[in-house]
Amino acid sequence: MGGESRYEIHQDAYIKLVLHAVKHRTSSVNGVLLGRSSADGDSVEIVDSVPLFHSQIGLLPPLEIALIMIEEYYAEKGLSIAGYFHANERYDDFELATVAKNTGDHITRYFPQAALLLLDNKKLEALPKGKDRRPVMQLYIKDASRSWKLVGSEGGNQLSIKEPSGNIVLLDYLASEKWKDIVDFDDHLDDISKDWLNSELFQ
Amino acid sequence: MVSKTEEEQVNRLEGQVENGGGGEWEYLCLVRKLKLRRSFNVLKYGLSILNNPKKRSALGSEEWTLYEQVAIAAMDCQRLDLAKDFIKILAEKFPESKRVGRLEALLLEAMDLWEEAEKAYSSLLEDNELDPVIHKRRVAMAKAQGNISGAIEWLNKYLEIFMADHDAWRELAEIYVSLQMYKQAAFCYEELILSQPTIPLYHLAYADVLYTLGGLENLHMAKKYYASTTDLTGGKNTRALFGICLCTSAIEQLTKGRNKDDKENSQLASLSATALEKDYKQRAPNKVSLLASTLRSLKLSS
Repeated sequence: MGGESRYEIHQDAYIKLVLHAVKHRTSSVNGVLLGRSSADGDSVEIVDSVPLFHSQIGLLPPLEIALIMIEEYYAEKGLSIAGYFHANERYDDFELATVAKNTGDHITRYFPQAALLLLDNKKLEALPKGKDRRPVMQLYIKDASRSWKLVGSEGGNQLSIKEPSGNIVLLDYLASEKWKDIVDFDDHLDDISKDWLNSELFQ
Repeated sequence: MVSKTEEEQVNRLEGQVENGGGGEWEYLCLVRKLKLRRSFNVLKYGLSILNNPKKRSALGSEEWTLYEQVAIAAMDCQRLDLAKDFIKILAEKFPESKRVGRLEALLLEAMDLWEEAEKAYSSLLEDNELDPVIHKRRVAMAKAQGNISGAIEWLNKYLEIFMADHDAWRELAEIYVSLQMYKQAAFCYEELILSQPTIPLYHLAYADVLYTLGGLENLHMAKKYYASTTDLTGGKNTRALFGICLCTSAIEQLTKGRNKDDKENSQLASLSATALEKDYKQRAPNKVSLLASTLRSLKLSS
């Protein structure tokens, strides 16, 4: 820990999180990030993500079950829970929710370079108008003083989408209302036949 | 609050309309009756009726209710231009109407003109102090501006007058949960369970909050309420079954087997585990092994 790392998120992982937030635009949503750190510890690759909840975020029982299952599934693929994603209920709320910090704290115990991502609604709104390749999220990491700090786009710590076409594909999906198909853990608990892995989503 | 069958009904109608099978008016009526927030579709389907003179006149006097419904949906979708048009039509038809006045105030809210909206609501309240809709808009406005403590204050004031409004109690509970004020959330669910003891949703939510609060006593209570949820739902509620397993595991960890009620404790849990396994085998077969290892890590495989 300490020093600067680069964070790279795979397109599919990135898109799932944004689609989830757009599907439930009148509530907060959250999700976990799955990934691994590089051998030299210089970068973190966020390979996949699982959208978690869109209601009563902060209640432990569904979260505990979700984390156990997710950890179990991805361990076989050599991936750990490497971070957390949160989207606030209100458009202009850029505060990092306590539940996000708490969950992030918990995750850093097992994955010290854990990333906390917060949806940036203003960037999301501006997306169709520009050609921004950067993810529409803010990145927070834990600094030496053990508190969550927002990472600026300069400097070593930054978040990028692995595939340069990331935002273009996202815009495409938004236009085709793809968010209707995304499944989160809440949906699974309400109907276990719904697949929180979203394995068919990008077929 | 909507039951599963009601939700399925709405979704079915939605599918029917999307596939060109008609049913827009039924959908709109159902959404209105169940008080659902499906603004995209309400706007889309509503417009298709309102913009068609034949369909519109076929509605008779219901036309005005539709204008109101679609105006609200338009505001929710940030189509303020449409909303303004509809409200104007309603204002011309019903001058001096308080109901239209509320819509006008709502439009001010949609335009982020909070002070003007507050003024409009206050003056509407002068004629009707006990209008629940306006009181609730006050809560909504506070929430929208990020003034959560204000929202809580208004909501508590509202509940002092309208203490039978279950949805309001639920809203308050959810706001408390979002602020990690679990004890206060628990109180709200206690009120709900007292007044409507056979609604499993309240038992489940209460149990979730108790588990989150933690501590041996709360865990035991949570388990009781997960059990009552299971009872009320014929064993079909996945969350409650998982809840029983979580509580048992947590209790065991806290008491480290010192508790003499161990046997009964674990019996309920293994029954739940079995029920979960059976359900996953049937409806989520590709997740059965994940479930098994989850239950194992909770030390509960049957």
